Amino acid sequence: MLIEARHLSYTYMPGTPFQIQALKDINLTVHKGEFVGVIGETGSGKTTLIQHFNGLLKPTEGELLVNGENVWTEGTGLRQLRSRIALLFQFPEHQLFEETVFKDIAFGPRNMGLEGSEVEKRVRYSMELMGLKYSLYKDRSPFSLSGGEKRRTAMAGIMAMDPEVIILDEPAAGMDPLGRRKFMEKICMLHRDEKITVILVTHNMEEVSRLADRLFVLSQGKMVLEGKPSLVFNSPDTIREAGLDIPSLTYLLTRMRESGKEIRTDIFTVEEAGEEILRFCGEANR
Amino acid sequence: MSMRSITLGHYLPGESVLHRLDPRVKLVTLFTLIVALFMIKSFTGFFLYGLFIFAIFISSGLPWRYFLRGLRPVLYIIIFTLVLHFIFTKGGQVYWRWGVLTIEEAGLVMGSFMTLRLALLVITTLMITLTTSPISFADGIEYWLRPLRRFGVPGHEIAMMMTIALRFIPTLMEESDKIRKAQMARGADFETGNIFRRARNLVPLLVPLFVSAFRRADELAVAMEARCYRGGEGRTKMRELHTGAVDYIGVLTVGALLAGIIVSGV
Repeated sequence: MLIEARHLSYTYMPGTPFQIQALKDINLTVHKGEFVGVIGETGSGKTTLIQHFNGLLKPTEGELLVNGENVWTEGTGLRQLRSRIALLFQFPEHQLFEETVFKDIAFGPRNMGLEGSEVEKRVRYSMELMGLKYSLYKDRSPFSLSGGEKRRTAMAGIMAMDPEVIILDEPAAGMDPLGRRKFMEKICMLHRDEKITVILVTHNMEEVSRLADRLFVLSQGKMVLEGKPSLVFNSPDTIREAGLDIPSLTYLLTRMRESGKEIRTDIFTVEEAGEEILRFCGEANR
Repeated sequence: MSMRSITLGHYLPGESVLHRLDPRVKLVTLFTLIVALFMIKSFTGFFLYGLFIFAIFISSGLPWRYFLRGLRPVLYIIIFTLVLHFIFTKGGQVYWRWGVLTIEEAGLVMGSFMTLRLALLVITTLMITLTTSPISFADGIEYWLRPLRRFGVPGHEIAMMMTIALRFIPTLMEESDKIRKAQMARGADFETGNIFRRARNLVPLLVPLFVSAFRRADELAVAMEARCYRGGEGRTKMRELHTGAVDYIGVLTVGALLAGIIVSGV
């Protein structure tokens, strides 16, 4: 599934004294099977942008195309679109409402018109996927779960719709480091094994530089940078102007490079960076 | 964050005389103006009153387009009043007849009279609410409730409740918008179906909204207690209200208007 924005602009409350232009002339393409990151400081328009991808917001100007078709032309099934392009909002545990975990996760599939054993199959599958043991959790009230379990339930509710694309808005905000890491590993697994397209909105530069194939950098509603993490973080000045910072690994490696060392800077995992530094030290000792 | 619905009657910050008027004075003038409006007996009176209101509106610098939009919700009530009078008030010359329905002279006069009164009432009130921040409004109300404390009316608590309620309207609006979108992303449908179906479809919106409202209330209570809030007793204000020359002029002008209307009998 291919998502494309063309000259997309969005204005909140147009025609009132409170009007704010949140997005200005955004052009981008997300290809099938990609893992892209959307970064930018608070209020830069990230959340507004992703709400266009599954037709929750209608562009004030420009258009949004999915597989080459304008989402907002007459006769496009918006609800069907939303089951294929799933969106998980920030603090998704706030959307839980049913009496049991099972019923809550079944909400999405039921809205798609599925019934009986198919719903059960999907709920079971997505619960196990998110590490919630089916027999243990299915009859519990979602309000009695811990924070992490609630969030995994919300995520399972999205996965039960069997989407082709998942959009995640700060999915790990407020989680402890271990929970965060596990959650992000799940996302990576879905991307790798299920070939799901992932669009990740985050403030965590380390994470996104390691995971994403491509990055979109937003600042004050405009796209200021776009490309591979190594390319994007190669322009530290633009990144800092956008209110962000480069990952600490990039900072370290760049500083070493600047002091005349022959070392690679396009590395985003600690393991690889460690090896690169060891390799460099080894060469230097020889 | 679609807050389109709350812009109606939403405070617009500004620097005009009307904005700077002491909220206590504003409440008194609003009350006086409403009394004056109900004292008016003729169309001439409405014309003069309207002129006065129009002058204040111009001086307030409120954008007229935004102002007119705020009037839209009451338009239906006004039209309803007008139609009701046209049809049911009888007397004088008959202008139009269709079966048992007639429109007569008294209906036209009474209808326009009542409509004008209602419209001016809404315009006056809206003008005041658009230029007064909710917090200073509550301050004003607290002041005027103070004499009632002797009869056990908890003025401070009422004002505090109002402030908190007003403060949380936009927050809850935003929250409900977010939850609505989150459920729509899961295929929820809030737009089609008959009224019973639609009501049932609101459950996924209302349950999380209530849960979060209670959570917020709880957090707020803790935060207030952590800052030693214990009601109005001995509590000082960060923004103390002061009456100045403008306020006296305001009260005198409105008082003169009321007196003029009563004396001249327009």
